[in-house]
Amino acid sequence: MKNIISLLLLTALTLSHACYADVSIVVNTANSSAISDTEISRLFLGKLKRFSGGESATPVNSKAGTAARADFEQKVLNKSSSQIKAYWSKRVFSGKGTPPTEVDNDAAVLAFVAANADAIGYVDAGSVDDTVKVVKTF
Amino acid sequence: MSNGEYNMKQKIKALGFCSALAVSSAQAEIVFNGFANIVGGQTTSSDETLYGYDDKFDVKNGSLFALQATSDLGDGLGVTAQIISRGNNEWEPEFEWAYVSYEVTDELKFLLGRQRIPTYMYSDFLDVSYAYPWITPPENLYSVPIDKIDGVGAIYSTSVGEFDSTVQFIYGSNSDDLGDLSAEFNDVMGLSVTVSRGWLTLRAGYFQADIVAGFGNDALSKSWAGAGYSDVASNLTAEDDRGKFSELGFQVDYENILLIGEYTKLTVDNTALADENNYYVLAGYRFDNILIHTTYGSKDGEQDNFIFGVPVTPELLPLITPTKAIIDDVQKETKYVTVGLRWDFHDSASLKFEYTHFSDHLNSAGDAGLFRTAIVTVF
Repeated sequence: MKNIISLLLLTALTLSHACYADVSIVVNTANSSAISDTEISRLFLGKLKRFSGGESATPVNSKAGTAARADFEQKVLNKSSSQIKAYWSKRVFSGKGTPPTEVDNDAAVLAFVAANADAIGYVDAGSVDDTVKVVKTF
Repeated sequence: MSNGEYNMKQKIKALGFCSALAVSSAQAEIVFNGFANIVGGQTTSSDETLYGYDDKFDVKNGSLFALQATSDLGDGLGVTAQIISRGNNEWEPEFEWAYVSYEVTDELKFLLGRQRIPTYMYSDFLDVSYAYPWITPPENLYSVPIDKIDGVGAIYSTSVGEFDSTVQFIYGSNSDDLGDLSAEFNDVMGLSVTVSRGWLTLRAGYFQADIVAGFGNDALSKSWAGAGYSDVASNLTAEDDRGKFSELGFQVDYENILLIGEYTKLTVDNTALADENNYYVLAGYRFDNILIHTTYGSKDGEQDNFIFGVPVTPELLPLITPTKAIIDDVQKETKYVTVGLRWDFHDSASLKFEYTHFSDHLNSAGDAGLFRTAIVTVF
């Protein structure tokens, strides 16, 4: 019985992780700008290049295929991975812009954001540590 | 051009190249991106041809491979080259874009060199099939003879509230051959304005060019001039005649619904080219990773009978007959309907299917049905 319950719990956990994991938007601890939901999405689509305080912003992406990337695109940008890829291919191949820098995983995003005062990234809510500041969790 | 001037130019080129090399070896990061479209197509019956396809299944005509190299040299300066190899050009690689870009501010960017003319809504990424619903945007509308210039461009992007706007200006020239015919497009200039907010995008463009081209009518034109009809002679070729083009477009991408439309008008005075009015509308619906869409389009070509009033004499008849044929040939009242499906079966690739039916009200010999399928990818 115990085994069955833990198995069920484990399944539920795995499922919730796959479908409903929370994603946290993180910035450098020195960053004091207020950042709205629209601004987060515009920063990652290259439509906005500065924080509300006027400092330039460097968004950092988690590599395509990571859970955080898929959750971020779906919950914050409200588009599928294919739609985001099509959006960037329009800009890349017409000289209008380049997508944010990509790093390997949550740990690399945290390290990048901790090391760069102008960085903004996203990680699985469970990966957050005190080297960064959480702006919002979706 | 004098010899000295030529040598000087070569030296400047060499210097520019060396300094570009010096900078890139110091910073040395070149980013490569690419895209490919593999398109197969076949018309539905043996007497039909459409957009380069006939009734034999063909995978060369519409296929292409492209590679883009970009290097950020720092301080807002960048270098980009895009090379495309097309099946319908015997896979000969050609520079589609080759420019130095300079970002003056977050909003303003200059491009110097070879670049696309933002004539239509999809001109900037016309070959990147992954970026739009169809296998290619409607051929009947996307039909001005040149799509790029060697010159200068400026892109100004701003945001007011949630409205994003982009104004793009270009000035330059194009002396690439049009198929087998030589042509020159000088003082090509114009601008496009795009405004978008959330799901809505609106666009307008105006471009003009001074055109020098014989269109293969040089001999006929000379004969008319010899017979004393210089007006008719000049109407058969373009000698610095101005072409004017305007465009309006919209796109609605609301939840699962997609609506796209474009209208264009082209006039080239004092030439044998028709005045063209052109539009299409697309409606599409997204089911998860599958998009189904249908497009209706119309293109009319009108040409004044510029030999009206020329007396039909035995001497002039050999000139009148071929000239009348040229005038008749450009009169068009065409319609087309396309139904298609796009399936995003992979993060970087899509599979597309399309059927197009094309008809010309004035000449049913050109009516045709075309089935196409494609795998398109970006990498």
